Amino acid sequence: MNNLAKRQQHGLPMPSTPGRPAPFSRPGWQLWPGLTIASALVLLSVAGLGALIWEASLPDISQLWQSRYLRTVVTFTIWQAFLSVLLSLLVAIPIARILARQPAFPGRAVLLRLMELSLVLPSIVAVSGLVSVYGRQGWLTGFSSDWLGVSWNLYGINGIVLAHVFFNAPLAARILLQAIEGAPPSQLRVAAQLGLGRWWYWRAVEWPAIKPVLPGVAALVFTLCFTSFAIVMTLGGGPAATTIEVAIYQSLRFEFDSGQAALLAMVQLIICGFLWWLAARRGLTASLLPDRRVASHRTKAGSSLQARLADGTVLGLFVLFLVMPLLAILTRGLPGMGSAFFPQGSFSVNPALLDATVRSLAIALPAGLMSVCAALLILASGTTSKRPAITRLTDVAAYLPLIIPPLVLGTGLFLLFRPSLGSSSEGLVLVTLINAMMALPFVLQMLKGPLGSLDSASRQQADQLGVLGWYRWRWLHWPRMRKPLALAMAYGTGLSLGDFGVIALFGTPGQPTLPVLLYQQLGSYRMDAAAATGLWLVLLLLVLFSVFNRLGSPLHKTGLATTSPRRVPEPEHA
Amino acid sequence: MLEVRNLVFAYPDQESPWNFHFTVEPGQCIAIHGASGSGKSTLMNLLAGFLEPQSGDILWQDESLRQRAPWQRPITSVFQEHNLFEHLNVETNIGLGIHPGLKLTSEDQQAIEQGLDSVGLEGFGKRLPGDLSGGQRQRVALLRALLRQKPILLLDEPLTGLDSDARHLLRQLLLEEKARGTLIVLASHDKEDRKLLADSVHRL
Repeated sequence: MNNLAKRQQHGLPMPSTPGRPAPFSRPGWQLWPGLTIASALVLLSVAGLGALIWEASLPDISQLWQSRYLRTVVTFTIWQAFLSVLLSLLVAIPIARILARQPAFPGRAVLLRLMELSLVLPSIVAVSGLVSVYGRQGWLTGFSSDWLGVSWNLYGINGIVLAHVFFNAPLAARILLQAIEGAPPSQLRVAAQLGLGRWWYWRAVEWPAIKPVLPGVAALVFTLCFTSFAIVMTLGGGPAATTIEVAIYQSLRFEFDSGQAALLAMVQLIICGFLWWLAARRGLTASLLPDRRVASHRTKAGSSLQARLADGTVLGLFVLFLVMPLLAILTRGLPGMGSAFFPQGSFSVNPALLDATVRSLAIALPAGLMSVCAALLILASGTTSKRPAITRLTDVAAYLPLIIPPLVLGTGLFLLFRPSLGSSSEGLVLVTLINAMMALPFVLQMLKGPLGSLDSASRQQADQLGVLGWYRWRWLHWPRMRKPLALAMAYGTGLSLGDFGVIALFGTPGQPTLPVLLYQQLGSYRMDAAAATGLWLVLLLLVLFSVFNRLGSPLHKTGLATTSPRRVPEPEHA
Repeated sequence: MLEVRNLVFAYPDQESPWNFHFTVEPGQCIAIHGASGSGKSTLMNLLAGFLEPQSGDILWQDESLRQRAPWQRPITSVFQEHNLFEHLNVETNIGLGIHPGLKLTSEDQQAIEQGLDSVGLEGFGKRLPGDLSGGQRQRVALLRALLRQKPILLLDEPLTGLDSDARHLLRQLLLEEKARGTLIVLASHDKEDRKLLADSVHRL
């Protein structure tokens, strides 16, 4: 007698039996789509670069050291990136230590969110804020020249490094804070019990915690500064302060010298590629994005009043450094917003601003969606496959957009698809595609942790119950991924919304996106209008983040917990 | 009949591999015991299909299970802990055992409700596993396993750490299940559990 018949005989409830296997449960569904996208990314990048080289044969490599211009560009790019990394880390390390030491003060959570803003704040908007504070007519410049007799020139390396520190020090501090907070609890307990002083606490707890992530953070900041475009375009002071990325833009846009652009692109690729190869070899690509959970701090209470005052002062200066440009964007933008939205006293949106907004969203939303889908599929295939070659391919595809200049990629692809890419709307499709690719490394980092957070006990349960494919996604991954996905979508869209690189090359001046409109207004000294556009762009980002945050909040639906899933420890074998 | 035939397995850093060999009839319970690290959980994982043996075979009614994935085996398991999805409520946890996509009929819903009543958890359907005691969680896990109607039940220390009332209830449930013809493989340190439930004892 089978089990079912016996159950019936004993009068026990009879559940129905499952029918067909779960949709998309074959391993191929997890492997092939992501693998195809990863291969396409690598192929597109290689083809783009190849097309550029093919179009205009590569100039003599000796030009790199014979041409004074090229030599200056390469040297300056490395120098400014090096300085930016150094200064960013010099700011980030003490700030991360203070934030770890001071676990509870009013506004800490807001400050942490503010420090993440640099990931999405469009560089061109931030630059307009920095100019308002540190520029010739800036608040601080006026104050320091009137009261201290000190003045400076923002344009050139000063401004570039300042802007890079503004963007990267908070990001680096946030990642380092995460590393310190992730120090083993046993170490923290021992350190607290021994009452270690600051120096020994640094030696015993903080340094060992940040040491493993520091080279990765340095590589990330170096790459971001090395490939920086909008900041150098707006704050660079002529040929003496030009980076490779800007030189590529100038070669393509004004000199029509694709050979020189390709040569510079190769230099960039070799330097950044070598850096990331080193980072990847040492497994440094993990944890290079701040975790949005605000960790509960566990140690080092009871600092003296004097120490707390010192911490407060440093933190206050850092907050001022972050907030002043943002306040400048707000105060300068508000009057301009009045004329943009109430031109004759009644509400009507400035048509140029409205067009640019629609165009920006039409590019950014699909770009965000594409980057999220691509990241998910690439991650799925990377985790499904046990072949090292496939895992490596997905890793390379994920980080390739960080090191290949988007302008080079865009130009290469433009040349490649030229017969069919004629109209400006087709150019915008290319911009969307490249923006999606550029957001991919960041989006991927955001989704990697949550997607891998399914512990082995849950995986085994799911395997035995047949909760596979679509069902596994629906019941096990989706509750964990809902919020990170929404956040990744917001970041992906936000990065594209603030893009001022690819669009500068492929956009037409008559059809600007918001960052291009802002650049045009800055260029024609319509400062009020520029400030209004900058503020509008920031507001749009805020709306975007709150909408996606709302979409990412769990629904009160039967069967699903409203709390985030708890991790269970991995069981010990045997 | 379940036949475990010269099933050999070793972890990469292990010097001498385990070799499991035994047979059990439907409606019987075999108890496995041994010191920590003796291979009890490894055997359970091999039977469930979570680990791949180096050689040997697992036969059920003369058919090899080795090539079958965990969800294709006529087996369901209850471990000492971590049996439930923490973010899903009790009903959903049980429902996923009946249909992996939670496409439940009204009979299924009724089966879950009646099952919860029968294990003393009436009205607990909407609670999260984290809100239940250890004994209540094990009852939910066992109920799910029983509603899956698999002929082989693997139990890895299912009663360890439970209070005496919970132990008593679960033992009764297991005895009833055995009487219905379910084959039970029980890994347990507890002499009393083995004495009460097992027809044969295998020491590792």
